[in-house]
Amino acid sequence: MNPIRKKRLLSIFFVFLFSVSGVSLILYSLNSNLDYFFTPSELKEVDIPPKKRIKIGGMVLEGSVDRNASDISFTITDYENSIVVLFEGIVPDLFKEGSGVVALGYLNDEIFYAEEVLAKHDENYMPPNLDIEK
Amino acid sequence: MIVEISHFLAIISTALFFLAGLFALTIKNTFYTTNLISKTFSHAFLFFSASFFIYIYLAITDDFSVQYIANHSNSALPIFYKISSIWSAHEGSMFLWIFFLALWGFIFNIFIKNTEILKPKTIGIISLVIVGFLLFLLITSNPFVTILPIAPVNGADINPVLQDPALAIHPPTLYLGYVGFVIPFACSMAFLINNDASVKWESLVRKWSVMAWIFLTIGITLGSWWAYYELGWGGYWFWDPVENVALMPWLAATAFLHSLSVSIKSSHLRTWTILLSISVFSLSLFGAFIVRSGIIDSVHSFANDPQRGLYLLAFISVIILISLSLFISRFSLTRTHRSIKTLSKESFISINNIFFVTLIFSIMLGVTYPLIYEYFYDQKISVGAPFYNAIFIPIVILASIFLFFSIESKWSRSIDLKIFINPIFISLILSFVATLIVFINLEKINVFILLSIFTGLLIIFRYLIEIWNSFVYKKYLNPFSAIAHFALGLLLVSISLNSLLSSERALNIKINEYEEYEDLNIYFRDLNLVKGPNYDSVKANFFIEDENGKSFNLYPEKRRYSRRGQITTETAIYITPFRDIYLTIGDQLEDGSWIVNIQINFLIRWIWFSAFLMAFAGVVLISSKRKV
Repeated sequence: MNPIRKKRLLSIFFVFLFSVSGVSLILYSLNSNLDYFFTPSELKEVDIPPKKRIKIGGMVLEGSVDRNASDISFTITDYENSIVVLFEGIVPDLFKEGSGVVALGYLNDEIFYAEEVLAKHDENYMPPNLDIEK
Repeated sequence: MIVEISHFLAIISTALFFLAGLFALTIKNTFYTTNLISKTFSHAFLFFSASFFIYIYLAITDDFSVQYIANHSNSALPIFYKISSIWSAHEGSMFLWIFFLALWGFIFNIFIKNTEILKPKTIGIISLVIVGFLLFLLITSNPFVTILPIAPVNGADINPVLQDPALAIHPPTLYLGYVGFVIPFACSMAFLINNDASVKWESLVRKWSVMAWIFLTIGITLGSWWAYYELGWGGYWFWDPVENVALMPWLAATAFLHSLSVSIKSSHLRTWTILLSISVFSLSLFGAFIVRSGIIDSVHSFANDPQRGLYLLAFISVIILISLSLFISRFSLTRTHRSIKTLSKESFISINNIFFVTLIFSIMLGVTYPLIYEYFYDQKISVGAPFYNAIFIPIVILASIFLFFSIESKWSRSIDLKIFINPIFISLILSFVATLIVFINLEKINVFILLSIFTGLLIIFRYLIEIWNSFVYKKYLNPFSAIAHFALGLLLVSISLNSLLSSERALNIKINEYEEYEDLNIYFRDLNLVKGPNYDSVKANFFIEDENGKSFNLYPEKRRYSRRGQITTETAIYITPFRDIYLTIGDQLEDGSWIVNIQINFLIRWIWFSAFLMAFAGVVLISSKRKV
């Protein structure tokens, strides 16, 4: 093969190698950092390892909010199944019983330990997958 | 009816913009046609700005027969917020967006002489982009719709979290940045249509691009600052989809400015620069699409209308398709056969561009992947901070190390290793010692954070030496590059130390009780009910003393806005040069105590300061007399 061609081929090969490894690194880190979203009913059907960070969305069950010192516990429900959530900290302004909420955290022994609790800024917000029932 | 006049003027201007675009792209450009196109554009702009200012007048005078104003303004608002209510929701935001688009075109039209070869085509392309958006405004999101026959007595009020000075100026600044990139885009397209490689479109757009970049930088920073004190979460960046779609054009624009300087100086990377000019503008439009279509759940997505999303998507696709086909058809126009020398400035900027593209690609993936995933697997997912941190931290560190070594590099020449050992060596030692001091004084250790502190310091020290050399030995220093990169170093160090040192805790405290946190002694003195102009609020009074005996009061609030019944948290922040004491008040418990969240945020002001410093660097470049 002539030397110029050889050089060009080699550089193309390296560019290709770098791009492929770069993209696969990005995809790998994307895959290991995804937060899956479940409703309480969907949660019943899947098996989630305790170290996997997930999101749970639904409505705050009426009468389930229990504050204790700086902890708060409440139940997220989709009116078929529900799950108890524990959270330490201040819940957002729009958090209230009977309205939509999304919690981010870890599931352990049927209890959800939330790191973050989000209520939507829009007062008409409905968590995804729930808008049909109501 | 005044609003009909405004509506009518907007329609006339659409026709005029269309004429300007049609002339420019179909008729052979001579001195006379250029003059005609320029005049047509100016008149179109005059009609359109008249329409816009009449609309502002309507908002100020509380014309609630206009549906949009009735829905988003209120007669009790101060004039400032009556005006800013225009861009508090979708239709008005688009109106403002187009006004800025046309304004950039108008200023370009005035400042660039008619003899400039690329001018008529550039103006023509800008006109057609404006027409596309105007049709979008008039067809899918018309702000001129009236409520007839009986107008409401009062408006529905602006969203309370938006009643804030920073937020009143954040969207306009951001929009000015976004749409400002229409100029490099239109210019590069005009260059391709003109098909003459000797025309230097790059020099023509340099200052315009920097100006748009300044607005984008300030706009993003203002948004971050606003979110910090208004939303009550205490952070400065949340990797929210809408923040991401603003960051992508910023990264692309920054890459573009780098690549542009290479194209101007040494004619390398010209093809790449054109591709970037297309990317920056497309990403700006993509940002508009994501925010406006409501396709992604976010704080900002207030217009969930599929029709709008579809129109915007179609419009963006057409722009990208046309510009890319033009780009491909003229691909060989700017080809050079000289290759870039290793370790020259060009080579470093090429590497920097690879980093930028990787970052943009990663964000794009993070923003769109959930949509794709849900489509194929019917499973909702989200991509949060861990992904972005995993990508950004190593790449930014790597890029900064390259930046550090590039400072001594020269155009078209390799670095002479002898002269550059010295300052590099000194800054390496200084940074190492400083990082070591941080390392020794900390309990929590994170390798990546220490690394980014180290690289940030490298850049800071290296530029301090450069600045010293330029003052003492009169060594040449590019002030724009020096200030901007120094700011980057400062930003890296501030962000790292902020994430390393900041902490928060939720306290459970009764009135007249003491509580301790870190070195602070917190006393809950009092709680009052306060009545504001359009809200009722619970206002707490905290007396806080630090270990040095320095004391201050903080008044966090919880407000309920009467008109919309919306509750907002008003944070109370005590600002010192190195840390913020940040207090928010939560709910009252059954035993009468209150949940109070306290955060100590280190160096957070320095993060915004660094960003503003970057923008300031841009101002330095624009005001410099030096030709490009």
